[in-house]
Amino acid sequence: MSILAGLLLCAAIAWCPSLRAQTPPANSTASPLYKEVIDEAGRTVRVPLPVQRIVSLAPSLTETIYALGLQDRLVGDTDYCDYPPDAQKKTKVGGAINPSLEQIVALRPDLVLVTKSLNVIETVNALDHLGVSSYGTDPHNVRDIISSTERLAGVLGVPEAGTAIGADLERHLADLQQRLNGLSSRRVLFIVWSDPLISVGKHTFIADAMRLAGATSIVDSEQNWPQMSLEEVVRLQPDFLVFASSHSEAGQNDFDVLAERPGWRGLDAVRNRRFAVISDAVNRPAPRIISAIEDLARQLHPEAFAAHPDDEKKIAPPPPTQPSARPLDSASRVPAFLEVCTCAL
Amino acid sequence: MSSYARSASALRPSGDAGDFNSDVRLSVEQVSYAYSANPTQAPLFTLEATSFQARPGDIVAILGPNACGKSTLLKLIAGALQPLSGRVLLNGFITHTLPHRARGQRIAMVQQESPLLFPSRAWEFVLQGRHPYGRTLRFETEEDITIARNALAQVGAEHLSDRFMDQISGGEKQRVILARALAQQPLLLLLDEPTLHLDIGAQVDLLETLRRLASANRYTVVVVTHELNLAGQYADQVVLLQKGKCLRVGPPATVFQRELLEQVFQTPLTVELGSSGRPRVSMPSEKQ
Amino acid sequence: MRPLTLGRLLTHCALLSAVLFVVVVIALKLGAVPVSLYGLGHDLLRVLFRQTSQLSSEYQLIIFDIRLPRILLAVFVGASLSVAGASFQALLRNPLADPYVLGVSSGAAVGAIIALIVEPHLSLAPAIAALLTPVGAFLGAALTVTAVYFLGLRRGQIDSATLLLAGIISASFLQAIIMFFMSTLTGGNYRGIAFWMMGELQTPPPRIVSLILRIGFFLAAGVIYTTASDLNLLLAGEKEAMHLGVDVRRVRLVVYIAASLLTGLAVSVSGAIGYVGLLVPHVMRLLFGSDHRILLPTAAFGGAIAVVVADTLARTVVSPAELPVGAMTAIAGAPLFLYLMRRRLA
Repeated sequence: MSILAGLLLCAAIAWCPSLRAQTPPANSTASPLYKEVIDEAGRTVRVPLPVQRIVSLAPSLTETIYALGLQDRLVGDTDYCDYPPDAQKKTKVGGAINPSLEQIVALRPDLVLVTKSLNVIETVNALDHLGVSSYGTDPHNVRDIISSTERLAGVLGVPEAGTAIGADLERHLADLQQRLNGLSSRRVLFIVWSDPLISVGKHTFIADAMRLAGATSIVDSEQNWPQMSLEEVVRLQPDFLVFASSHSEAGQNDFDVLAERPGWRGLDAVRNRRFAVISDAVNRPAPRIISAIEDLARQLHPEAFAAHPDDEKKIAPPPPTQPSARPLDSASRVPAFLEVCTCAL
Repeated sequence: MSSYARSASALRPSGDAGDFNSDVRLSVEQVSYAYSANPTQAPLFTLEATSFQARPGDIVAILGPNACGKSTLLKLIAGALQPLSGRVLLNGFITHTLPHRARGQRIAMVQQESPLLFPSRAWEFVLQGRHPYGRTLRFETEEDITIARNALAQVGAEHLSDRFMDQISGGEKQRVILARALAQQPLLLLLDEPTLHLDIGAQVDLLETLRRLASANRYTVVVVTHELNLAGQYADQVVLLQKGKCLRVGPPATVFQRELLEQVFQTPLTVELGSSGRPRVSMPSEKQ
Repeated sequence: MRPLTLGRLLTHCALLSAVLFVVVVIALKLGAVPVSLYGLGHDLLRVLFRQTSQLSSEYQLIIFDIRLPRILLAVFVGASLSVAGASFQALLRNPLADPYVLGVSSGAAVGAIIALIVEPHLSLAPAIAALLTPVGAFLGAALTVTAVYFLGLRRGQIDSATLLLAGIISASFLQAIIMFFMSTLTGGNYRGIAFWMMGELQTPPPRIVSLILRIGFFLAAGVIYTTASDLNLLLAGEKEAMHLGVDVRRVRLVVYIAASLLTGLAVSVSGAIGYVGLLVPHVMRLLFGSDHRILLPTAAFGGAIAVVVADTLARTVVSPAELPVGAMTAIAGAPLFLYLMRRRLA
C-alpha cells in the first residue's frame, strides 16, 4: 500500500513538465508580421518585422551594427563587446559562449545575432527552444565579411546602409590592390598566441585579410588555429612577424618578450626586428578589418604609400619597423584572446 | 514462561522441528576439493575425500598443522565452496545448493573480520545477524532487537552494546562476532581459528561458552583450530588433517595417539589421559 | 540500542524535502532577472489554474521555461549522482569512489563528441538532431560501463579491486582520446564540449530526455534501495555478507548496472559535475549514519540540494555571465573534502 503511494508520488514528480506555462512565443510586441530568411549557417530564420530590438552575441556583430547605424536598436551585447566605446554601455548578457539566457529573454529581443565562429550551437538551440529568433553569420574571408554585412543590413531592414558600406570597403580594397600591384608579397607569421605557438590556418578570414595586405602566411594548414612548432617556423623563415593588439605598447612588448625566448633568435625576423603590430580589429570579421588590412599593408610595404605613389618603386631593404601609434583604449587584450582561444577548442 | 526462558528458547534454531532426538544433523560425505589458479594447470591444492557426522549439541574440532586444508573443509561445510566430489548435508539439505537466505538461517560462520570501512556499534553489528530473516525492504522488529540483546547476553558482552567495533579489544570483538552468529539462530555454528589472538584465559572462556551454548541451544559446532589441548578438552569429535588428507576421525581419545600426532605435527609429543577420560598433549620433558 | 525505524526514516526525509523546497524557491527567485517571491507564488497559482494570460510573457518564459526546468534538472542530476556515488562507495568498498571512477563520464564525453562529429553529415530534423548529443553521450557511457564490467571480472565474478583498476585505466584511456579530439577538431560545434565536460546545466535537454532522466532516476534508485540492507552487510565484508544470507553476486551486478545507469543519465544531460557523488554521501553519513536504508534517500536529497545551490551560484556570481556548475562544486567541494578527511583522522 505504501509502496503504491510512493510510486504515485514519484510518477507525479516525474511528470512535472506539465507545470509549464502554455504561452505562444510572444517576443514581438505589436505586429505579427515576419519574414523568413535563410542565414549563413543554412538555418531558416523567422525574422519579425520590423526589427526594433537586437541582441548581439559577438563583438564583430556589435561593431557591424554600429557601422550600419543601428546602434539605437541594440538592446544588449556581450561582456566583450568593447568597440566602439559606446557599446560598453549597453546591457550585458554575459559571455559569447555562456550568455545568460534569462538576460537575453528579459530584453525581449526581436532578433539575436550570432556568428558561427564564436558562438555555440547549444545557445542557438536553447534560444530556438524558447521561441527567440537568432540569425547567424559565417564569413570565411574578407569578401564574405562584406557580403555578410550587406545581407545582415537587408535582414535588419537597412539595405541602403549595407550597400553603402560594401561599396566603401570595396573602394578601399581596390585602392589597396592598385598600390600593391606588382609588389612581391611578404612572407609573414601571424602570431595568435606565443606559448604554445598558435597561428592562423589558410581558410580563416585573418589569412585572407593578410593576403589582401600583401602578405602571405607561411602557415599552410587546414585547421583554423594550428599549433606550430618553432622548428618549422625557423625552417620557413618568415620575413615578418605580425601581432594583433589593441594598442601598440602591448604589441612592442609581445615582440620583446618573444625575442628573449630561447630558439627565437634563429629567426631572421627576430634578429632584425622585423615585425608589424596591427589593430586587433583583424580578429573580428567586421567592417573595421579594412583599417587593419591597410595598416598592415603600410607596415609591410611602406614604399607603396609614399607621398607620390606613382614614383618608381624601389626595392628597398626591409626597414626597422615602427609600430604605429594607436590611441590607448580601455579594452584589454584578454577578451580578444578569449575569442580566439575558445575558437581553438 | 519467564522472559529469560522465553528468550533462551528464542535462540534455539528456528524451523526444522523435531530436533531434540540424537539424529545426525550434519553429514559430511566423501567431500573433496581441488583448487588451481589456472584451469589448465595442475591443482595447487587438493583436499581428499573426507567424511564425518555430527549431532545436535556436538562440538567437532578440525585439527591439523597450517595449510592442511582445515579452512577449506570448513568452507565446504558452510556451502561457500562447491565440493569436487561428495556432499555436505545439513538435515538432509545439501549446503551448497541452499538459497542464500535459507543458508543464512541455518549456518553461521565466525571468522577473522575484514576491517570495517565505516565502523558500526556492537548492537548494529549483532543485528546484522538477523538479515536472513527479513524481507527485502525491512526494518528490524522488536523480536529482532530482543534476539540481538539476548545474543550479546549469552556471550557476556551486553556491556559492549553501544561501543564502536573498532574501539574494543580483540577478545571483546570475538565475542561480539559470536553474538552476531548466535543472532542468526543457526543449526550449525562454524568457527575458523577463533582462538588465534586470544590469551589462554580468553581461549578457555570461549570454549566454555561454546560448550554451554551447544548443549543449551542444541547447536552443532565445528571449530577449526590447531590448539591440541583445547580440542582434546572440549571436542566430542576430532577430524585430523594433514596436507589435505583426513588421517582420522573420532573422539579425542582415539585420535590423540602419540605416533599419529608426532607424524602430523612433526615434533616429539607425549599424550596422557586425564581423569575425565580426555587426553592431554604436552612436549616431552628433558629427562632423555 | 536504537535501530532504524520507518518513522525515523520518513522524518528525516520530510525534513530534507522541506529544505529542498526552500532551496528551490530561493533558486527560482535568484537570477539575472529579479523576481519577487510574492509575485512568484501568485503566478504559480495562476499557472495551476490556467490563467496564464495575465502574466507577462517574458516573465513566464524566464521562470517556467528557463529557470524551473533548469532547477528541476539540477535536482534530478544531483540526486542521481549522489545515489550513484554512495552505491559505488559500497560496491567498491572504497570511500574515495565517485560515480566517474569507472570511466562513465569519459565514455559519455567521447560519445558526445562523436555525436557532434557525425551530426552535420546526417540531415536530420532539428528535433532529432537535438537528441543526438545526449543519446551519443549515453551510448558512450553504456559501452564504457560494459567494457569495464568485463575487464573487472575475476573468475566470473565482479571483484572490487579489479573493477576499480579497470575503471581507472579506461577513464585515462578515454581522456586521452578526448584530448586528441579536442586538439585536432576544428569548426563550430565542438566549442561547447569544453563547458560540457566541466558540467553545465545551462543547455536545456529535449523534453523526452528530461523525462527519461526522471523516470530512470526513480527506477534505478529504487532498485538500489531494495539492496540497501545487503549493502550494509557488504560493507562489513564480502565473505561475511555471503554467510549472512546476501547473494553477493546478484547484489553486485544489480548495483553496478543501476548505479551506472544513474551516472550515465546524469552525465548525458549535464556533463561531468564533480564532487557531488563523492562528498554528499560522506556528509550524509556524518549526519545520519552509514546505514544505507537511510543513507541512500538522504544522499538523494542532499545531492539535489547541493547541485541546485551550486547552479544558482553559478548563474548569479558573475552575472550575467555564467560559470559552469562543475566549477562551483569544485570550489566548495575541495575544502569540504579536506575538512571531512581531517575529521575522520581526528
